[in-house]
Amino acid sequence: MKFTRRDLLAWSAGAAAGLIVTPIPWKLLDDTSIWSQNWPWIPQPPRGPVETKRSFCTLCPKGCALRVRMAAGWPVGISGAPDNPATRGALCPLAYGAHQLNWHPARLKAVRHRGNTSSWFEASTAFAKASTEGPVVIIDGFPGRSTSQLFQDFASKRAAQYRVVLSPEIRSLRAYEAWAGVPATALGYDLENVRTIVSFGARMLDGWGSPGRFSHLWAEQASGKTDPQLRLIQIEPQLSRTASRAWKWISIRPETDSALAAGIARVLLEQRLVRATGPMPRLSLTEASSLTGLGPDAIHDLAQVLVAEKPTLAIADGDNPAVAALNFVLGSIGTPGGIIQTTKSAMPYLPAESNIDAARAVLIDSSVPWDFDVQTEAEVFRFAAWDGGSSKADWLLPAPGFLEELTDIPSAPGSSVQTYSLTAALTRPAFEVHTAAQFLQNVEPQIGKPEEIIHQRCAQIFKARTGSIYAADVAAVSNCSSPQKLEEAMWAGAIWMNEPLYNSRLLRSLREWPTEAGSATPQNSENTWSPGILPPLSSKLYCESNLCESSERRNA
Amino acid sequence: MSARYGMVIDLDRCTGCGACMMACAAENNVPALPKATNRTGLTPMLVRKVSNGRNGVAQREVFIPILCMHCEQHTPCVSVCPQQAVEVDRATGIVMQMPQRCLGCRYCMTACPYHARYFNWWDPAWPAGTEKSLNPGVAVRMRGVVEKCNMCHARLHAAQEKAAAAGKREIDPADYVPACVEACPTGAIRFGNLADPNDPVTQESHSPEAFRFLARLGTEPKVYYKSKEAWVRALAEAASSTEVQHG
Amino acid sequence: MKRTLLGFAIGFAFTLMLGWIAFPRALYTHKQQPFTFLHKAHAEKSGISDCGECHAFKDDGEFAGIPATEKCASCHSEQLGDTKAEAILVSNYVKPGHETHWLVYAQQPANVWFSHAIHLKRAGLSCQQCHGSYGETDQVKVYQLNRISGYSRDIWGHSMSRFRRAPGDGMKMSDCETCHSRRHVEVGCLGCHK
Repeated sequence: MKFTRRDLLAWSAGAAAGLIVTPIPWKLLDDTSIWSQNWPWIPQPPRGPVETKRSFCTLCPKGCALRVRMAAGWPVGISGAPDNPATRGALCPLAYGAHQLNWHPARLKAVRHRGNTSSWFEASTAFAKASTEGPVVIIDGFPGRSTSQLFQDFASKRAAQYRVVLSPEIRSLRAYEAWAGVPATALGYDLENVRTIVSFGARMLDGWGSPGRFSHLWAEQASGKTDPQLRLIQIEPQLSRTASRAWKWISIRPETDSALAAGIARVLLEQRLVRATGPMPRLSLTEASSLTGLGPDAIHDLAQVLVAEKPTLAIADGDNPAVAALNFVLGSIGTPGGIIQTTKSAMPYLPAESNIDAARAVLIDSSVPWDFDVQTEAEVFRFAAWDGGSSKADWLLPAPGFLEELTDIPSAPGSSVQTYSLTAALTRPAFEVHTAAQFLQNVEPQIGKPEEIIHQRCAQIFKARTGSIYAADVAAVSNCSSPQKLEEAMWAGAIWMNEPLYNSRLLRSLREWPTEAGSATPQNSENTWSPGILPPLSSKLYCESNLCESSERRNA
Repeated sequence: MSARYGMVIDLDRCTGCGACMMACAAENNVPALPKATNRTGLTPMLVRKVSNGRNGVAQREVFIPILCMHCEQHTPCVSVCPQQAVEVDRATGIVMQMPQRCLGCRYCMTACPYHARYFNWWDPAWPAGTEKSLNPGVAVRMRGVVEKCNMCHARLHAAQEKAAAAGKREIDPADYVPACVEACPTGAIRFGNLADPNDPVTQESHSPEAFRFLARLGTEPKVYYKSKEAWVRALAEAASSTEVQHG
Repeated sequence: MKRTLLGFAIGFAFTLMLGWIAFPRALYTHKQQPFTFLHKAHAEKSGISDCGECHAFKDDGEFAGIPATEKCASCHSEQLGDTKAEAILVSNYVKPGHETHWLVYAQQPANVWFSHAIHLKRAGLSCQQCHGSYGETDQVKVYQLNRISGYSRDIWGHSMSRFRRAPGDGMKMSDCETCHSRRHVEVGCLGCHK
């Protein structure tokens, strides 16, 4: 029997007819369509139990309260904590994408020594050697933490120097230091009780202080009102975001803030618009007018607006003694709605200069903004979670990233009351990271651990019996049953907030109008505070909208 | 009971910080692709800066968050979609885009008067490891589909599940707040049920300061804006979103 | 003519055999669970009859799915019997505190949102209506992985024809739709997708 072409056709027809009554075509169609919807190279979110934890942002010294949504143990969403009275649920835009920062390609994953991969052991040995050979300088960007305390302990045990890089809010308070005899870190602006704010370029609505604090006050009391309860007067050459939303925007020539402050003070004093009788600035109104480009009438009107609704606060962008002196003229020192002392126990500090001579080693903590770099002959050990590029440091040491560090959070810069909160590490990186405190401990084991200092501080808060603990509900510290209970609540995400200290003895008058200029902003010319790397989402979104303004584009 | 979710955005309160954009993108697993530009990127929530066009001290700016307006009537994208990949949900009034069903013709993008729809020009990608930080409540979209604001549907899901677990049929309004609303530090974006006459958002939407962009088209958008300034309200009838974009 | 018919029949029979016998074997590959877990034995020895005892809900309605190692450890912190499976559980998972990577039979694609709370508490469905009687069996179900789609055979259902299936056999979108339309429950696309 021969197999013919006809047989083949018959067989094929039978096979084809059979095929449609088998699952083959239908199942293949179905499976391939499912496969095409699930390309293996499309990243998939983690699967696992979802829970919400509380934490605090450690990317800048403002320490905003966070609620962190975790899935399968990884942070997958950030939102503010509305029950926190210091930030009131608001965060800066960067925080919303900060949980993706830990995966940023610029993440520092291994110790780097002058561009080459090195090890923790080598770094530690090099630092131990350097610290025995000569003086060490430790630079902190987030003073007041338990880690800062350890730095100071190390400094006192090893004759090292402890230096602080100040945030713009604290820099604007530096002028009062010498006059009031109180460190700038112990001073704050009582914005909650102020009626008029004259901001000399301070970005009040762009994250000044902590984003939640002023934006809420402004939104409730000022936004869109023709005669607001809180009058925000923005003095700035260009129409900034804050200026565009301010009650009044006054455009002056760049760098003439001091002249305008002097002009306003002269009008206030000469026209007896204020109770104070001095200090009288040397600059005349005409001089101030020609310097700033504002007419004498305009300065006169501005002075009158400033005393129309009091208390009035003048806030500078960075260190500006003339603006600081204006607050003395306005009588806004040590009073509600003025500049007040927040704590009586702040440690004195020395500001970091970018030029460091006569040091054998410099240790820069990861809290120092990346823009701050030092000019020195010394060996520089820099801790950072991200390599923002072009650092002159000899050693780059990987530090814990976002939500990876156990730490305490002192008052936000410029805050009118003292606050304290704690945060535990929520995740851990897959590679070896150390904090600067842990690193110093290898060299000097006697300096203790952050946990011990946190424990002591909680005990002190319990003992002092002032202020309240804010969690889901508010409890006065005096109602707390034990220091353990207090610390437990703090680890669960509560915040301790002290009462404002209005009756502190700050110097309330000033003899002479300051003539010196304020200290320059250390390198960080934008007066912003960034971890060197921005969440990729922020670079993308700000470029795709038309909001690109100054630093936001930097890492785009 | 059927709800009509909508928003009132108080432009006098918007400081243009962009927290809404960031929170939206993080919530909805929007990738940050370096090659994307302002014409090819995905921005379900987009804050635009608009100037009054004057110079010097007379210059004023306003920040306008633009998102899907969730048109109630003759919804343009729904009318043109050949795939039924977008529909106005009967129960919530949300204009729901279903990326898995989309065939990528982009007809809806042309039809949308607000340019609030975006096309995935590339497969989503993140730096290695970032997938662990993605929101598990929202599926990642693939190349070739259109997406837009779904009013944080994952949050509605979570609220519905919570209500069901508690044995309730209706969700607690406090449980369903879109990411942009939650993130706004000044409370400029308010979210509520426009079908409820007692909802503060419904009442605000009737205020004389409230307006909607391109209301004359008759699509009854459910996102209202509000401003005390007349020049801002005048932007409402700008002929196209290009005019809004360039002020 | 006869011969043509015979040829047709042979071809027909060939593809039938190919499609109904060889194809399913080629399409699915068998995978082993990390260790043997017997539902029936657990139900009998511990006296637990409610699925929700181990497959619990959280307060916000989130379904915890397969219990975490912690739940196993509440009884098996130390070895109780002499089975190999228990030895693996105690030494590999309970003692080091690792989670077991179970192969989930009902695993759905990432774009599916399914709320157990809504289906059980609001609609009053039973576990068995979708999951069948697996919770009462005394053997481990073989996990059959679809080589193309990457999902378990339980999604399509054990019956290749999807005809006259046992209750709870199959978890495709059409199965959801059938039940929804029978019960007149209308949700939009994003009611079940995310």
